[in-house]
Amino acid sequence: MITRTVKVASKNGLHARPAAVFARTVEDSGHAITINFNGETADADSLLDVMSLGVECGDEVELVAEDDSLGDFLDELVKLLATELD
Amino acid sequence: MFGLFKKKEEPTVNCYAPCNGAVIPISEVPDPTFAGGLLGPGYAVEPDTTAETVQICAPVTGKLTKIFKAGHAFSMLSNDGVEILVHIGLETVDLKGEGFTKLVEADTHVTAGTPIVAINAAQIHQAGYPLVTPVVFTKPKQIKEIKLVTGEEPIVAKAILAQD
Repeated sequence: MITRTVKVASKNGLHARPAAVFARTVEDSGHAITINFNGETADADSLLDVMSLGVECGDEVELVAEDDSLGDFLDELVKLLATELD
Repeated sequence: MFGLFKKKEEPTVNCYAPCNGAVIPISEVPDPTFAGGLLGPGYAVEPDTTAETVQICAPVTGKLTKIFKAGHAFSMLSNDGVEILVHIGLETVDLKGEGFTKLVEADTHVTAGTPIVAINAAQIHQAGYPLVTPVVFTKPKQIKEIKLVTGEEPIVAKAILAQD
């Protein structure tokens, strides 16, 4: 299992557009990734689950992959979340 | 023998408008995230911006899976397993619940047309937020096509399901 933590940069947090860009990226990859925030866990490829975490701008989230070979993909997601997507 | 030419019935979810108002295709919502289909295919309704109270209702029969903290959006899982998001107005997460009253708890089974959130439409409109309310199917792979229909009220749209 590998993890990364990142501060969400989008001004509305992981809402509508940023959540969609993030979840669709994970969905298209076909990789199993979870996102943890505030004691809750969501499947990163589910737009609704990601949105309902209620992550706001500046909040730190944790990304988790069970597959240890997904380091590069997690780094890509970290870059995405650290970018203003709105 | 006419049966040979009859088109096979496609699995369809009948969808209600979340409230009274003009129904428009998702592509006409004045927000590129919704209009571009990033959140999924769908449709939208334009509520009366002068009303003090507008009830936003379940567009389908199924489970109310979530109501967002600010009351500005809710999600459903239809009886057919289709995932739906109703987003009341645009950018309304910023209002932090002001003007939104939740009427139903999450994890409740509701029929299409059940009021879920009451909004003070006039107040939200005056605060400068568009009230156009998109209904999107957040798992695009489940949906083949969204057809808007007229003359079948309260049904305003039909979601044709993708088949394996």
